[in-house]
Amino acid sequence: MGAFELNTTLSNLRDLRQSDLSAYDAVYLGNIYCRLFEDNFLERMDHLKEGIARVKEQGLRAYVTSYAAPRNDALPKVQIALETAAAAGADGVEVHNLGVLRMVHEQFPAMPSHVGGFANVYTDAGAQVLKEYGAVRFTPNYEISLEEVEGIARGAGIPAELQVHGKMPLGVSDYCFLLEYEQHWPEKCPVLCQKQLFLKQGDWAMRSVGKGVLSGRDLCMLEHLPTLVEAGHRIFRIEAAYETPAYRGQIGQVYRDALERVLGGDATVDERAWALIGEHTAVGLCNGFYFGRTGSEYVGKRVEAAAAC
Amino acid sequence: MLELLAPAGNLEMVKAAVDSGANAIYVGARGWSRRRDAYELSDEQLHDAIGIAHAGGVKLRVAVNTNMQSCELPTLLQKMEKFVAWGADGAIMTDVGAIAQVHRRFPHLVLHASIGANIVNNQDVAFYRSIGVSQVVADTKLTLRELASRQAGLDVGIEILIHANNCYTYLGKCWMSPYHRLERTTDDFGKDLFRGSPNRGGLDYRVCLEDWELYDGSALLEPHIALKNDAFFYLDDIPALIDLGVHCLKIQGREYPVPLVASIVRFYRELIDAYQAKPAEEAFDLAPWRLRLEAIRAERDSRRSNMTLVLLNEARQPVPHRA
Repeated sequence: MGAFELNTTLSNLRDLRQSDLSAYDAVYLGNIYCRLFEDNFLERMDHLKEGIARVKEQGLRAYVTSYAAPRNDALPKVQIALETAAAAGADGVEVHNLGVLRMVHEQFPAMPSHVGGFANVYTDAGAQVLKEYGAVRFTPNYEISLEEVEGIARGAGIPAELQVHGKMPLGVSDYCFLLEYEQHWPEKCPVLCQKQLFLKQGDWAMRSVGKGVLSGRDLCMLEHLPTLVEAGHRIFRIEAAYETPAYRGQIGQVYRDALERVLGGDATVDERAWALIGEHTAVGLCNGFYFGRTGSEYVGKRVEAAAAC
Repeated sequence: MLELLAPAGNLEMVKAAVDSGANAIYVGARGWSRRRDAYELSDEQLHDAIGIAHAGGVKLRVAVNTNMQSCELPTLLQKMEKFVAWGADGAIMTDVGAIAQVHRRFPHLVLHASIGANIVNNQDVAFYRSIGVSQVVADTKLTLRELASRQAGLDVGIEILIHANNCYTYLGKCWMSPYHRLERTTDDFGKDLFRGSPNRGGLDYRVCLEDWELYDGSALLEPHIALKNDAFFYLDDIPALIDLGVHCLKIQGREYPVPLVASIVRFYRELIDAYQAKPAEEAFDLAPWRLRLEAIRAERDSRRSNMTLVLLNEARQPVPHRA
C-alpha cells in the first residue's frame, strides 16, 4: 500500500466498465444487500472473474465483498463466490457476517479478511476476536465515534477502514418493500432500487435501496481529513454502490487530491470541490456518528455549505 | 425440558412472571441492556430479583447486551463478578469481545447470544459457539425449516421469540433511530447512555414506523409507505416448535405493564402445558387459544401504538449537546 488507500464499491460489471477508477487504489466488487440486484457480482461468477481481472489490469487491488446478512440458503452461493475470488486472485474479501468470516478463516486461510461495517465492531476486544479469525482490517460499526475507532484500532492492532464520503448504511433487511409497490411504476426489479429513491417525512430523509436503508445525506469528511490522517488512519472508502459512475469518479478525485495535499502538509480544501460535492448530493451532508452526535448532523466549518448542498 | 422465558422490567414484574408460570426470567442491568433505563434494574434490585426468582424455582438471566464501549469492558466484568456471586443463572450478550472476556472469566456461566447478535445462519451459530456461547436467540425471520437444520446439526440451545417485534430491518443491524436523534447522557452510576440507539442501550425511536413518503429524486412516487414492523404473537407454530424440541420460548416486553406481561406469560404457560399433556394421537384445537389471545393482543396493540407516538414525538425534539 502507498501512503494511503482510497477505495470504492461497485455492484456489477456494467458499473465497472463505465466508471473512471483512476482516483482509487482498490475496489470492492459486489452488492451486499440483495441477491437480485442487477447482475450482482456475487451472483454472476463469470462477471466476478472478469471484474477482478479488469480491476487488477488497472493496477488496483480487487476486493470481493459478501452479503450483509446471508441466511442458510445463500451460503452455497457465498461459498462459490469465495472460491471464485480466491481462484481469480482477489486481494481480499470483505465479510459482514461472522459465519462467513469463519468460512474464510477455515477454507481460505491465505485470503485477507476485511471486516465490514455490518459485522458490528464496537470494541477493541471484539476486533481482537475477529483478528484471531483472520481479520486484517475492520470497518467499525457506523454508530461509533472517531475516538472509539482509534481506541479499537490501537487496542486490537489492526487498522480501521473509514467511510469518508457517500451514503452511510443505516440498516439491512431480508425484505424488499419496493416489490409491494412496483406494479404502480414503470421500472421493475432488478433496476428499481437503482433509482434515486428517498423516504421522506418533514425534514427527515433516508435513501431506500429496497433491502437496505442508507442515509439520505451524504456522509462527508472532506474538511476533517487532516484530523483523520493525524489520528493515523490511512484507509478510506467512498461508498458508491448505488451511485452513478460520475459520482464515483468525480468524488473520488476530490478526495484523492485532498488526501495527497493533507499528507503533503497542506490542509486547504479546493473550493471547487465543494461545488462538485453539492452537484452530487440530493439532501445535504452529514458526518455520521464520527463526532458522537446524531448521525444526520454536520459538524465543522462548512455547516452552511453542507446545508446548501 | 422446554423453558418459558419471561421478561421483567421491574421487581413487581419479576414476581408476576414467577407467579404466572415462567421457568426463567431475564432482566436488564441498568444502562447495559437493549431497553431504556426505566425498564432496567439497579444492581440492588437485580440482587433482589435473583432472590425472588430462585425462591420460586425459576432461573434468572441478566441481559448485558448493549454494544458497549471498549473502555466499559472492565466495568462490565466487575458487575458480572457480583451477578455471578449472587447466583445469576446466565448472561445475555451481544458484543463478541465482551462475550469472549466473560467466558474466559466465568467459564461455567451460561452465555446466551442476544437477538442483537443477529445470528442468521448455521455458520454464525458455530462462530458464537466457538467463543463460549451455548444458547442463541433465533432471529425473527427464522423459518421452521432453518430451525430444524439448526437443531439437527449444532450443539447449541435455540431460543425462539414468541412475542416480539418483527422489524423491517434485522435487529442489531439498524441505526436508523440514532441517525435521526442521538442524545448522549450519563446516568447516576457513570454509565454512558445513548438515547436513540437501541444497540447501545438507549431507546429506539421507532422512526421506521413514521408515515413515510417515497420520492424518486424530487417526484413523489407514493404518499404513504409503511415499513414493516409488526409486533407478533406465535400461536399456530407453537405445537411445531415444541415437537421440534426447541429449548426455550422467549417472551419480550419489559416495557409493558405488569398485568399485561403476566397475562401473556400465563397464556403461554397454559398453552404449553395443555399441548404437552394431550395424548400424542389427539389433534390439538387452537381455536379457543386464538380467541383468548385476541384480547391480549388488543391491549398490547393499544399500548404499543401509544408508545410509538410518544417515541416519534421525542425523536423530533432537539438534542441538548453536552459541553
